Formats: sequence, C-alpha cells, structure tokens
Amino acid sequence: MQADNSVSTTAGLRQGANRWLRVYGTFAGFVAMIVIFSLLRPGVFLSPNNLRNITEQVAILAIVATTMTVVMVVGDFDLSVGALASLSGVVVADMLIQGVGLWPGVGIALLVGAVAGLFNGLLVAYFGLSAFVATLATMTAFRGLSLFYTNGSTLFSGIPESFKIFGQSFTGPIPNSVLIMLAVLIVTWFVLEQTTLGRRLYAIGGNAQASYLAGLNVRALRLTAFVISGLGAALAGIVLTSRLFSAHPTAGEPLMLNSIAAVFLGMTMFREGEPHVLGTFVGVLLLGVMSNGLNILQVNSYLQLVLTGVIILLAVLLSGLARRE
Amino acid sequence: MNHSFVRLLLALVLIVSLAGCTAVAPAPSAGDAAAPAEASITVAVVTPYMANATTKYAIEQFEKYGKEQGWNVTVTDTNADFNQLVSRIEDAVTQQVDAIVLGMGDPAQMTKGLEAAQAAGIPVFGLDAGNGPGVVLNITSDNGQLGKETAHFLAEAIGGKGNVIMFTHDPHPGVRARAEAAAAEFANYPEITVIEKKHIEVPGPVDFARNATQDLLTAYPNDGDIAGIWAGWDEPALGATQAIEAAGRSGIVVVGIDGTDFARAEIAKGGPFAASIAQDFDGMAKQLVEIIAAYLKGEKPASDSVQIPGVLVTGE
Repeated sequence: MQADNSVSTTAGLRQGANRWLRVYGTFAGFVAMIVIFSLLRPGVFLSPNNLRNITEQVAILAIVATTMTVVMVVGDFDLSVGALASLSGVVVADMLIQGVGLWPGVGIALLVGAVAGLFNGLLVAYFGLSAFVATLATMTAFRGLSLFYTNGSTLFSGIPESFKIFGQSFTGPIPNSVLIMLAVLIVTWFVLEQTTLGRRLYAIGGNAQASYLAGLNVRALRLTAFVISGLGAALAGIVLTSRLFSAHPTAGEPLMLNSIAAVFLGMTMFREGEPHVLGTFVGVLLLGVMSNGLNILQVNSYLQLVLTGVIILLAVLLSGLARRE
Repeated sequence: MNHSFVRLLLALVLIVSLAGCTAVAPAPSAGDAAAPAEASITVAVVTPYMANATTKYAIEQFEKYGKEQGWNVTVTDTNADFNQLVSRIEDAVTQQVDAIVLGMGDPAQMTKGLEAAQAAGIPVFGLDAGNGPGVVLNITSDNGQLGKETAHFLAEAIGGKGNVIMFTHDPHPGVRARAEAAAAEFANYPEITVIEKKHIEVPGPVDFARNATQDLLTAYPNDGDIAGIWAGWDEPALGATQAIEAAGRSGIVVVGIDGTDFARAEIAKGGPFAASIAQDFDGMAKQLVEIIAAYLKGEKPASDSVQIPGVLVTGE
C-alpha cells in the first residue's frame, strides 16, 4: 500500500514537473538568459537605454511574427513575408518620393500587402496549393518585383522628413515603432482570443475537415489569415523603411525565417503546441534579447548564429520530450 | 501525399521555366552602319549581371569606348544564369568574333565555354571578372587597395589613435580582401586597436549593422571608447551612421567602400559617415578597350591582371 502510494506520488511529481517544463521551460530559459546577461554586464544590460534599444530592435520582427501567428494558427505558412516587407518598403519609399503624400503613400503600400496576401490566400485556399509551395513561389516573385521596381538600387533621395514618424520618432519616451508593434499585438491577440473569428481560425488549425463539416467557411477563413499576414508584412516594411530612411530591395528578407522561428518558440510556451500571440511575442523577445546580449558580451558573430540555432532546438526539443513522457 | 509531391514538382518546374523565360538574351545591339572599315572587328560582351547597376555602367562604358575604336560590340545578358552564359560564349565562338569580354562573373563557373574559346583561338578578356583558363587578361579594382585606402583615411581622421570596429563579411572573397588589407593598414598605427571584427549578415545588412552598432555603443558607453568604424561596403556603414546619430554619440568616424549614391548623400551631410571609395569602372572599361585594341594588333599584355585604383569620396 505504502509503496504503491509513494510510487504514484513520484509519478505524479514527475508528471507535474514535466507539465511545468513543457509549459514554462522556454520561458524559464528566457528569464535565465536575462539573469545571466545582467550578471555578466551589471548596469549595462538592464539599463533603461538598452531595454529601449531591445524593444526598438524587435519591433519590426514582432509585427511580422504576430501576423504570421495567424497564418500558423490555421495550420499554414507564409514564406513570402520577408520579400513582401521589402516590396512594400520599396513601394512606400517610391510613392513618397513621387510626392503622393504621407498617408496615401502608406495606404498604397498597405494595399500592396493586402493584395499580395489575397493572392497567397487564393492560391492556398481556393486553388489548393500547399502553403509552402505557393508562398515559396510568390516569395521569389515579390523579391523579383522589388528588384525590378528599384533596378536593384537603394531608394533614399527625396523621402520627406515626415515619414520618420513610423520608425524613428518617439511619443514621450516610447519609440513609435514600439507603439505600432503594441497595437498590432493587442489587436491580433484580441481577434484570436476574444472573437468568434479567432475561435474559428483555431478550429481550422485543429481540424480543417471537422470545421468544414461543422459549417465553417474554411476557404474564406484561410484566405483571411493570409490577408492579415500580408498586411502585417507590409506594415513591417513601412516601419523598416522609415527606420532606415531608405528602401533596399532585399531589406526585409531576414524577417521570414526569424518570424517563423519566433512562432515556433512561442508554441513551446504557456500552451501546448498551439501558436498564440503572447508566446510569439516572448519568442521574438527571446531572439532579440539573445542577439543584443551576445553583442554586448562581444561573442564571436559566427558563434552567435550557432547559439541561436541551439537555443531554438533546445526549446522545441525540451517541450517535445516532456510531451512524449 | 503523392498529390502534394506532384504539385510541388509542378510548381518547381513552373518556377524554373519562368526563370528561364526571363533569361532570354536581349538582341545584340545592331552593328553601327556608319562605322568605318574596321567594323569587321566584333567584340562580344557576355554578362550574367546586367541587372546590377554597376555592371551595367561598366559595360555601357566599354561599349562606348569600343565603338569609338570602330568596333562592333554586342552585349548579351543571361540574368545570373551561368549555364546559359556558357551557351552564349559558345555561340560567340561559333560566330568567330574577334574577342570575348566577360562582364563580371567568376570564370571558374564557365570553364566549358572558355575552353571552347581557347580551342578556337578566340581571346577572352575579363572586365572585373577574374582569371581562368583562356582568359588573356582581367582588369579589376584591387579590393586590397580599396580597403587599405579607406583604412588609411579613417586612421588619419581619428588622429592615428583609438579603438576601431570593423564590419566584415569574410565569406565574400572581395570583402574579405578589403578587410585583410584594412587590418594590415591599422596595424601600422601602434595606437590604434581593432577591438572587434563583426560579421554582418546579408540580406538586410543596413538594419543588422544598425542593431549591432547600437549594441556596441551600449557595450562602450563613453565618448571616446570608439573612435572609428570601418565597414567593408557602404550598407553597414549606413547602418552604423544611423545608430550613432540616433544615440547622439559624437566623435565616431565611419567609412565605407563602393561610393554608392546613398553613401555619397550621407557623406555630403557632414555627419559620422566621412568617406567611401568608388571603383573606377569608367577607367577600367577605357583601359580594357585599349588593351584589346593593342592585343588585336599583336601586342601581348605583360601580365594577366591589371588593377585600377579606386577614387576616394569625401566631404571635401
């Protein structure tokens, strides 16, 4: 009796520990990383200035990763976000140089994002292409469009000062890019967590067939997810172009893999195996904090890449192993 | 499963065929009807990189100087397709042109075409391309010289002393040669210390360099901790400049390489971005035309490589 009891208690303990590891392991690792960086560079890493730098550095990635989360909630991917961010950045810069005015220029660039997202969505939801293939192809096409549009050069001359509002100006002590990021986070969180639309998107990700049989318009919903992702990529491209005050035809490309990595990291946090906005945001922060901290510690640039890869693997492995037990 | 595999294949075929379509070579520029009797000399320029503004400029200058010699110059672009490039070289060999010019692009990736030219006895010249089998001569900028001169400018601008950060990209042989020569130049100044060599990721070098600079400014928080930033090309120099300006730090001098238009605009503002260096593509094209003209008259060049110095771009 007694033996039985103690066995079941240890088993229960182990189960509890597993569950904790699965749900909070990555977050604990993130906190540990912050503690280590603060101990190694006391007064520098946690200085208000550096914290502001970090939030500013992650803002653009956070925008893309947040809207990427929506696509991944329905079980798809969008590989075109980086190229699309470059394209919308090039378009907004050119529009402003042409003198269409700040808000019309921004509107046109966002429209480019929405139309591109619509196109991706049509290919995937209505023409039945896999998201991987469809967005791989459109990624190539969007990259080509940016290069064609700019003839491979950088657009910078004649962008009006007013355009600095998105990526370089501050509201009080807070960078505007961070405010834009927060707005995207809050709106997307609200849509995914608090609305029927969000429930439906999660239902499709859980089981598209069952959702269809339950009467959901699966196609329209998947299409919507891609439009949201396209809009997010375009917004990120606008903020990036404002931050660099110049449009480079491939500037947005690193955003694609990093945003997917952030969503995967987020899937290992708080909830089991589901993409969600809060997790994605912590994933983005984790990537940003790691890059900033390793830079401040002056770790070799090549090793930084290795460490980033290893941390992502560890996070995913840990939550995977804990789940298998 | 099978279906998605078939679709994947279909899509890949589609992508490849699309890429192929865009690589259709533009018609060679028509022979100048008004050209004098020497128009019997035809020079074929083949390039994989006409979409690149610098390549385009260099080749247009070559065309200009070539036509001044009364040559018939044809230009063929394969849009980064090296396989097509080999075919176009073979076409030029079949047409028995007098000389073939490679407009950039690594000869190691087109040996089959070059061997065909060699077998037919048609001389091949490199315009900022490289050396290889059958390449009589390559004219180029010396990356080492570009690196050395910008490093020298930076060292003098900071008074020969202080901490310097280098933004590098060693996997690129040209940028690596620049960085090695720059490091050697800094070593001539005993009071200059290269405190960090930072690898800059591409694509997205401007934002990457901006973030890296922001972090390095945090790691070295006092004015005077960093005297200068040397960048292997202009994009990271732009990112560094923006981070320094946003942080309100003074006394840091930034230099880049390539003399791009955005770098020139930044240098003209008189901020941290103090200098860049431009490759002299006009000089390269001009001299290559002279070398080919001499070669066709029977004068063999003394060496298989000619290096043209860069032109420093500063605020003055």
